[in-house]
Amino acid sequence: MLRAYTELSLQAFASIFAHSPLFGQRGWRLSALFDQMVAIGVASMPTVGLANFLLGIVLAIQGAGQFEKLGATDMVANLVAFSVLREIGPLITAVIVIGRSGSAITAELGTMKVAEEIEALNVMGIDPVKYLVVPRLLAMILMMPVLTVLGEGVGLFAGWLISVTALHLNPIFYVSNSIDAVEQKDLFSGLLKALFFGAAVGTVACYYGMQVEGGAEGVGKATTKSVVTCLTTMLAMDALLTTLIYFVL
Amino acid sequence: MSETKHKSPYALEVRGLTRSFGKRKVLDNVSFQVKHGEILIIMGGSGCGMSTLLRHIIGSLKPDAGEVYIDGTEITKLNDLELAKVRKRFGMLFQTGALFNSLTVGENVALPILESSDVAPHIAELVVKLKLELVGLTGFEHLKPAQISGGMKKRVGMARALALDPDLLFCDEPTAGLDPVMTAVIDTLTVDLTKKLGLSAVVVTHDMTSAFRIATQMIFLFEGKVIAAGTPEEIKANPNPILQQFINGDADGPIPLKLSKDDYLKRLLQA
Ligand SMILES: Nc1ncnc2c1ncn2[C@@H]1O[C@H](COP(=O)(O)OP(=O)(O)OP(=O)(O)O)[C@@H](O)[C@H]1O
Ligand SMILES: [Mg+2]
Repeated sequence: MLRAYTELSLQAFASIFAHSPLFGQRGWRLSALFDQMVAIGVASMPTVGLANFLLGIVLAIQGAGQFEKLGATDMVANLVAFSVLREIGPLITAVIVIGRSGSAITAELGTMKVAEEIEALNVMGIDPVKYLVVPRLLAMILMMPVLTVLGEGVGLFAGWLISVTALHLNPIFYVSNSIDAVEQKDLFSGLLKALFFGAAVGTVACYYGMQVEGGAEGVGKATTKSVVTCLTTMLAMDALLTTLIYFVL
Repeated sequence: MSETKHKSPYALEVRGLTRSFGKRKVLDNVSFQVKHGEILIIMGGSGCGMSTLLRHIIGSLKPDAGEVYIDGTEITKLNDLELAKVRKRFGMLFQTGALFNSLTVGENVALPILESSDVAPHIAELVVKLKLELVGLTGFEHLKPAQISGGMKKRVGMARALALDPDLLFCDEPTAGLDPVMTAVIDTLTVDLTKKLGLSAVVVTHDMTSAFRIATQMIFLFEGKVIAAGTPEEIKANPNPILQQFINGDADGPIPLKLSKDDYLKRLLQA
């Protein structure tokens, strides 16, 4: 299984470069990539925004509860800015994308597999990896950071909003506190995570879709497995990257 | 069709093809040949391995033993890239149609054209119109597969199989679900293609009228083995009782479909 997954991923990554239309080769199509970027990315924006908004509020209120005891409610700005950029933004965005788009990719490819569509592609001499996997994987890799930035923006705004309304913090002060609290490094480490999450979710979701056997039941099972594997892989990757970034940067 | 174009006298040759799923031997030492320009009909009871046989011939499944030669090239051991090259000369109509549900009828037929060469879209559109006309589906380009009937899907599948003017056409029950007139249209189309363009065809069918109308060669599969092979006349004259029961569509005969009354009672009481 791990071998088949690795094979598919390597093949897909090789196809991204080897058959790139940007280098004037016939291969995967830019139009297919844009379609997937819309399906995976643009369509996820409202949900990603909402989730980050809610977590921004939760973070601010929870933080306020603790900082109040120290008489440092101002520190809420630092907490929100730091954790949204470093951790919560990339994480919750990936969770939403896995639930929405990762599962959809597995289900769609799986349905195509059981309906013999993938076999039909093969018989026509069209490489399903190039035609189906590459646009989805690439869209995942490109859109995950974009969605993460969007989510982080919304999360920061929610933190600010709740702080200046419910917690009566000074709006200008809050902003300057936030800016002081974070460095470029925080933003980039979050985006780096998002990039890796995108690659992991894209390959895992496509792999589970392409190996479906046995009708509608198989599609259901594969989708469940895909979501679970995406989530655990993403969390493992998060732990690893966080550790690496802590010690290396 | 010039004779020099071909490497082998046979468009397709299958030798000793054997395949088991678990303990069940679905194909057992199946061998036959198809000359260029011939139409081979594969007959057999439902579930006896005809679709599986086609899957082995087009290279989607690998046999446990035996070889498949496409115009002299053995394909069971080719890698994906080499296989893709051979497959460029194939057209395949799947039993279920296997249309791409996310694409319209027109896009389905255009797909192999656009993906295989740098054809301008308006040329592809023209070819699509032509192919759809062949199968009697003019004006259905913009519908999605979910919006057309089962028989229409079959015909779109046929149009798609013909999109790249293949040398070898494989059809899995092309006329199942079609009315008699449409069946005749598809039959005539298949015969025309072989006569006028020199294409060779392998057709799986349960429709005996249609089979005898178009076949130049026939084989009959039973329990994974080829139990009869020959021209339509030879098949008609073949005394094999299993074959005759199948051709005549009799419920009674040697094909074990139903249990005897005693067996039936026994099974019923056991359960
Ligand atoms: N992937 C598979 N795994 C296990 N068994 C299979 C597989 N594919 C086919 N079979 C078995 O092989 C037998 C032949 O299947 P096949 O689809 O070739 O039948 P068929 O002759 O085309 O029948 P029909 O005319 O009904 O389409 C069936 O009994 C089926 O259960
Ligand atoms: Mg079949």
